[in-house]
Amino acid sequence: MSNCHGSHAHGTCKQTGLCPIVTFPEVVNIDEIRDEAPEVKTFYMSFLNKDVEREFRIKSGQFIMCTVFGAGEFAVSLPPSPENDRFHISVRAVGKVTHALHALKPGDKLGVRGPFGNGFPFEEIKGKNIIYVAGGIGLIPLRSSIVHALQHREDFGRIILLYGARSSRDLMYQPDIQLWKQNAGFETFITIDRPEEGWDGEVGYVNQLVDKANVPIDNSVAFVCGPPVMFNSVIGEFLKRGMSEDAIVSTLERQMKCGIGKCQHCAIGRTLVCTDGPVYTYRQIKTLGEQI
Amino acid sequence: MSMYIVSSHEIKQLAEALRASYDVYGPQVDPQTQQVFFDQLGDVEALNLEAPIPSMPVKEILFPQMERVLQYKYDAEAQSVEMSKPYAERPKVLFGLRPCDLSGILVLDRFFLGQEFVDDVYLTHRRQCLLISNTCLNPFPQCFCVCTHSGPDADEGFDLDLTKLKDGYLVRVGSEKGQAIADERNWKPAQPHHLSEHKAVVDRCIDLFPEMATDNKAWVSRVMNRITTGFIKSETWEYIGDQCFECGACSFVCPTCSCFNVEDSRMCDGECERLRTHDSCSFEGYARMAGDHNPRQPVEDRRNKRFFCKLSYPQSKKYLRPGCVGCGRCQWVCPGDIGLPNVVQYIRREITE
Repeated sequence: MSNCHGSHAHGTCKQTGLCPIVTFPEVVNIDEIRDEAPEVKTFYMSFLNKDVEREFRIKSGQFIMCTVFGAGEFAVSLPPSPENDRFHISVRAVGKVTHALHALKPGDKLGVRGPFGNGFPFEEIKGKNIIYVAGGIGLIPLRSSIVHALQHREDFGRIILLYGARSSRDLMYQPDIQLWKQNAGFETFITIDRPEEGWDGEVGYVNQLVDKANVPIDNSVAFVCGPPVMFNSVIGEFLKRGMSEDAIVSTLERQMKCGIGKCQHCAIGRTLVCTDGPVYTYRQIKTLGEQI
Repeated sequence: MSMYIVSSHEIKQLAEALRASYDVYGPQVDPQTQQVFFDQLGDVEALNLEAPIPSMPVKEILFPQMERVLQYKYDAEAQSVEMSKPYAERPKVLFGLRPCDLSGILVLDRFFLGQEFVDDVYLTHRRQCLLISNTCLNPFPQCFCVCTHSGPDADEGFDLDLTKLKDGYLVRVGSEKGQAIADERNWKPAQPHHLSEHKAVVDRCIDLFPEMATDNKAWVSRVMNRITTGFIKSETWEYIGDQCFECGACSFVCPTCSCFNVEDSRMCDGECERLRTHDSCSFEGYARMAGDHNPRQPVEDRRNKRFFCKLSYPQSKKYLRPGCVGCGRCQWVCPGDIGLPNVVQYIRREITE
């Protein structure tokens, strides 16, 4: 457990045992920018204050609040693994702040608060098969957990990735996927929505991969992240095969202004995505009483 | 708990003495509009402890409608940034709080300071704050604090509490901080008959509450039960929701509403500020995300959100009391007819039908 960053944080987060940057953003430098997919860029960054960098620890599935100076702050999930990984975020330009972010160059500065949220339940799933299901940029929040699971390969059974995107250009983290494939027992099934010249892989939607991959249902957990349409059809497939609602885990997104459970913008029913989530089981999601 | 009996003149002296180390806020009547504002006192003579409850809740002082929470300047050329915290301020005294507003502050304390994270901005305002409450001797027309257990007198959370009696003000001490202040003054200790007089004026005030308030007393908890368990017909919610104009006024005047928005804006000189402003869950854009995805688009989804927040158990667990403190301001400002006491009545009507 790390110490607090001076006056920036008060105590330790009860859920994760980590000590996040709560109020006053810490400045990071953008070291490198990579084009990941159309309108999606990955920003590699490092803290200016090296003490903060040493203390900054994350859990898979958490998020940060990122400030683009002059434009505003946005919530973004963390793709790096908690261990031995470069600190980075992958962001699609959709709104005012993310467009401003895409206009930045290496050497520009950003502000970071966090990490916030509960993270994936890794302790509880030791010894199980993990099925990752992602659609489009839904792979971003799952990346951290995939890398983490592969770093602890012996703790888990089969590890399967079912991944779909609109076209081959929209597939995220392609060099990473190639690297992961070299791991023993990492099974990858990738599909694109429509046939394409030069594409000899699967064509169709992600839910069709559940059959093709012959996924194990017993002793498995599914981590699902993607657009609501994909989410619902994939979950339907798993439930049809008899998977328990507790074994289907997803990470939700909402408009967030504070990240610490105060502004209430991310309320879904009686839960707050920033502090109770963003990771929920399907059983929990079903009872939130609101559209996700 | 020590108690003193103090003249009105000594109360003014106390306010004057506190000004040396505090910014003193108190109720004042605007001479032109006759409206009551809880504002910083330029002159202690303006302090009016008999004025009705202020139009705006006292939360305004600890959680202002609009507040700078960060200031920075980004130099794009040099790729560097300078940041500062603009919100460190002088300690404040809230002098002559009505018990409902005091309860509202206690709710905000538990919400902003007592959850998983501490809100640094609120803490900065609250840390050195001194609370002096003032018992209501007459209910004001829209009041229903007897239903929500937050009046007409305060029973927790104050540093000093004032009640106007025949001989002057009865001052009850509620904290060590309050005691330290009392020790510096040369106040007369109160006699047992002052205490019984205090009880008598509070009882008299309770008897004066309008019928609707006293009728609703037991109903608030029944309605909370209904809202929590979800046994309320959708037609009732529609009836309530249909009267909402989505103006947000109820949230802004509510002593316990704490939703806020955060926005960065650039000023002419290139300096930027991060503003946090009050927000309301009834607004259409409240949950809208970048890319225009709005999970809470249907009106029935959002118009009644506020009542769940005020009158349901999960939220009360955070506040350690109902989210409503019975000040009745929402009833005052609502252009529809869905101030909180009315909502309780509509649901009550459904239960009894």
